[in-house]
Amino acid sequence: MSEHEIFPCMYEWLTDMDVSLAGNLRRWADNEVMARRLELKESYEQLLEPAMRQLFLEIGLQRLLWPEKYGGDGHNSPKAAVTMVAALEQVSRGDTSIALLLSSMWALQSCMAMEGKENHEACEAFAELFGSQDTLAITSLVLPLFRDEPQARAKLAKGAWSVEAKSARPLASGADAAVFGVLCSGAGSDIPGDEVCVIALPAAAKGIKRGKPFLKTGMAADRNAPVSFDKAKAPEGLCVARGLEACRGMLSWLYLGVAASTVGALFAAYEILKEWGDNRVIKGKGQTFKNNPLTSSVMAEVAREISVSRMLTCDLGRVLSEPGIYGPAGEEGNFVLAEMVANTVTLSAEKAIGGAMEMMASAGYATEWNLERYWRDTKTLQVCLGPYELAKMDYARYFYQSEAR
Amino acid sequence: MRTIDDFTRPLEYLSPMDAPLRKVVREWADNEVIPHRRKFDEDYEEHKLIEPAFDKLMGEYGMQRVLFPSDLGGWGMGGSNYFATAAYMLCEEVSRADSGMGVAFAVVHWPLLLICVEPHVNRELCEEFAPIFCSTTKARFAANAMTEPQGGADIENMDIVRGSTIQTTAVLDGDEWVINGHKLWPTNSGGVCDLFGVVCTTRAGSNDPDDFAFIFVPADTPGVTQGPPYQKAGMAADKNGDIWFENVRVPRPYRAHGPGEDLKYFKEMVALGNTMSVAFAGGALLNVYERLYEFVTETTYKGQPLKEHDAVAGVLADIATDIEVIRVVGYQNARMLDRTDLYGPRWGEELVAKSRAYKYYTCDRAMDVTGKAMNLLSNYGADRDWDIEKHWRDLKIVQLWLGGKQLGQAEVARFFFDLETV
Ligand SMILES: Cc1cc2nc3c(=O)[nH]c(=O)nc-3n(C[C@H](O)[C@H](O)[C@H](O)COP(=O)(O)OP(=O)(O)OC[C@H]3O[C@@H](n4cnc5c(N)ncnc54)[C@H](O)[C@@H]3O)c2cc1C
Repeated sequence: MSEHEIFPCMYEWLTDMDVSLAGNLRRWADNEVMARRLELKESYEQLLEPAMRQLFLEIGLQRLLWPEKYGGDGHNSPKAAVTMVAALEQVSRGDTSIALLLSSMWALQSCMAMEGKENHEACEAFAELFGSQDTLAITSLVLPLFRDEPQARAKLAKGAWSVEAKSARPLASGADAAVFGVLCSGAGSDIPGDEVCVIALPAAAKGIKRGKPFLKTGMAADRNAPVSFDKAKAPEGLCVARGLEACRGMLSWLYLGVAASTVGALFAAYEILKEWGDNRVIKGKGQTFKNNPLTSSVMAEVAREISVSRMLTCDLGRVLSEPGIYGPAGEEGNFVLAEMVANTVTLSAEKAIGGAMEMMASAGYATEWNLERYWRDTKTLQVCLGPYELAKMDYARYFYQSEAR
Repeated sequence: MRTIDDFTRPLEYLSPMDAPLRKVVREWADNEVIPHRRKFDEDYEEHKLIEPAFDKLMGEYGMQRVLFPSDLGGWGMGGSNYFATAAYMLCEEVSRADSGMGVAFAVVHWPLLLICVEPHVNRELCEEFAPIFCSTTKARFAANAMTEPQGGADIENMDIVRGSTIQTTAVLDGDEWVINGHKLWPTNSGGVCDLFGVVCTTRAGSNDPDDFAFIFVPADTPGVTQGPPYQKAGMAADKNGDIWFENVRVPRPYRAHGPGEDLKYFKEMVALGNTMSVAFAGGALLNVYERLYEFVTETTYKGQPLKEHDAVAGVLADIATDIEVIRVVGYQNARMLDRTDLYGPRWGEELVAKSRAYKYYTCDRAMDVTGKAMNLLSNYGADRDWDIEKHWRDLKIVQLWLGGKQLGQAEVARFFFDLETV
């Protein structure tokens, strides 16, 4: 049994392909990231580019959920939600920042390429990128920072969208993106809240100006920068989600990605802590950490957070993978569930990895032991979801028909 | 408009030097540190940006001299009855700008405590080491080398373990101590240290308090090797590394006080270390408040400043409440260390246990507060531009050091519930 299989999830939902993919990605994480990060500890970033090329292009994750007709592997059905969980857990165990980039890409793909609902114009426009064997399809999502207030505005005129935003703060990859998925207001609906849309903008579109990359807490593979859209133009068909439910659909997939990436980071933290607990001795007590009641109780709580987080994330994957049973990903109940799972899992991770660091004291704080990297990265995943206080307004609206905003 | 000065301090027992010193340090923080601190992480090895600020504070303004007697060029604070309260304020103000600088600053004085503070001044050693700190305008660093590869917490767990796990040995050879051992992590190591205070045993494996020795070792003594600074999650302004002591010879009087006494006063160092940890966290939190105030005022949501959202206001209240309580507790703790006539000796079981309680309470709250503040900032929470993520990264180690929360819990439970084995 591998270290992380002891945390249960519903294996019957995984296909043979999911299991084999997860196995491959586990090897990728072991060989391309974890084995090499000791040797490259002073310049971790150096290992990321080759590792990402292998993952996106050679293993082909950027083609995985993309339709066959447009150069992909054709796993573009809702079932891919479960595949995505299995994959992101493994990728994130190696490097959480790469998992965030994949989550962003798959969230955008989910709303342009879902089987039976393909947006052919968009698929055509991005076939070269997502089907590419040599260009990384780095995707940057520009989402509301504060719940339902988009950072960008879109206007449709003469068959083209024009996108406006000043110094928007993307979720990730503002500096490197090959494609932007911009959630905008201005889609022209009369229904309150429904006037939102997602425009997919190729990075080469005119009017996109990237600022200087900024420094941040973690997420080494993500070079982020503010981005301005000065009447950036996209053909009408590149509006890949229109209306609240469609936009929420993309967010539900993103939240699933965030939750699965967090679980992967938790696996890594568990492995590091387990090794410590097996070997480190509290000399004054003559006990290893795992055998001292006080420290083992903290370790136990870490395991509890991981177990429950994984179970919740797999359940969410299942819900999104079966719209026939649970309804579309963007339906209010599913969206709120996705938001809740992502919030719960990222808050759990803050507690669990913080607790693991307590156990390891200075080793937990040192770059060399790698634990602190997962702590910084999972906190970043949490803040990507926006303020928790505002997310709670979504919960209250759904469960109590609250009008609080 | 409210400011950090609206958080309560017990005005009736501030030190007489409080107002002038606070002003100087706050100006220094605002001008010499805050404008540069976002680049500190990349400067962790060289300290090109950090060093000039240290030089100004400690060398030019003379803050590295505060504990030494006045006739030796110091400020004589070690002989005052307000040194802990004054130190608390200084650590709080420095940490508002950068808690890594806060700890580096405080640790300069940490080993010196043993020889410069009443009622256990070691005049001979003060005379010996005063020139290092008092006759220069450059920053000079002292370090307290306790932690060893096999563990730091056990060494700090004096009441139960009583030094029996210390592997750094000191053997008397004629009129010299010969020291051998490997230490790691001391603040102000990583190549910058001028004077080490080294926790040693005179008989490996012994739990006799008489065998616990605290010996001063100037960093340029033959046989001392400092490794490069480690890379870590935060606290770039504090350099930490390995130190090897190989047949290092120092004069016999470099032992701080002698059998039994060294361990006694080492406990005082632990108490002060915990109290000042409250100040590091409390100071950083004051700046978290300042930055957060700015953010929630400038940022609008639904056409109003974010802070006017009722649910957000609830979190802001929790954050302010924690900062308020931590500040009151921290000053109270410092005052207790100054009024030994009322609260007993600083090395006594009571003050050691209580300072651990304040420290781990504060650190748990501080991590929660900074984590919540980052969350309120949405994606900006992870950007260095808003500084709060820096405090979050820096403060985590304050929670972990000095034996971590679990050692704190063990000592607090032992004191309040009369435990015998934990
Ligand atoms: C920035 C920084 C500055 C530092 N400054 C200094 C310094 O100035 N001088 C110095 O000597 N060291 C310093 N350290 C080291 C620090 O004090 C030690 O890391 C810390 O005390 C814990 O020791 P350790 O890392 O060896 O972990 P361990 O000793 O292995 O302890 C790990 C954990 O064990 C648990 N634990 C401890 N005791 C018990 C017990 N009795 N029962 C159950 N659980 C227990 C706690 O959770 C603790 O966190 C510093 C470290 C850093 C990162």
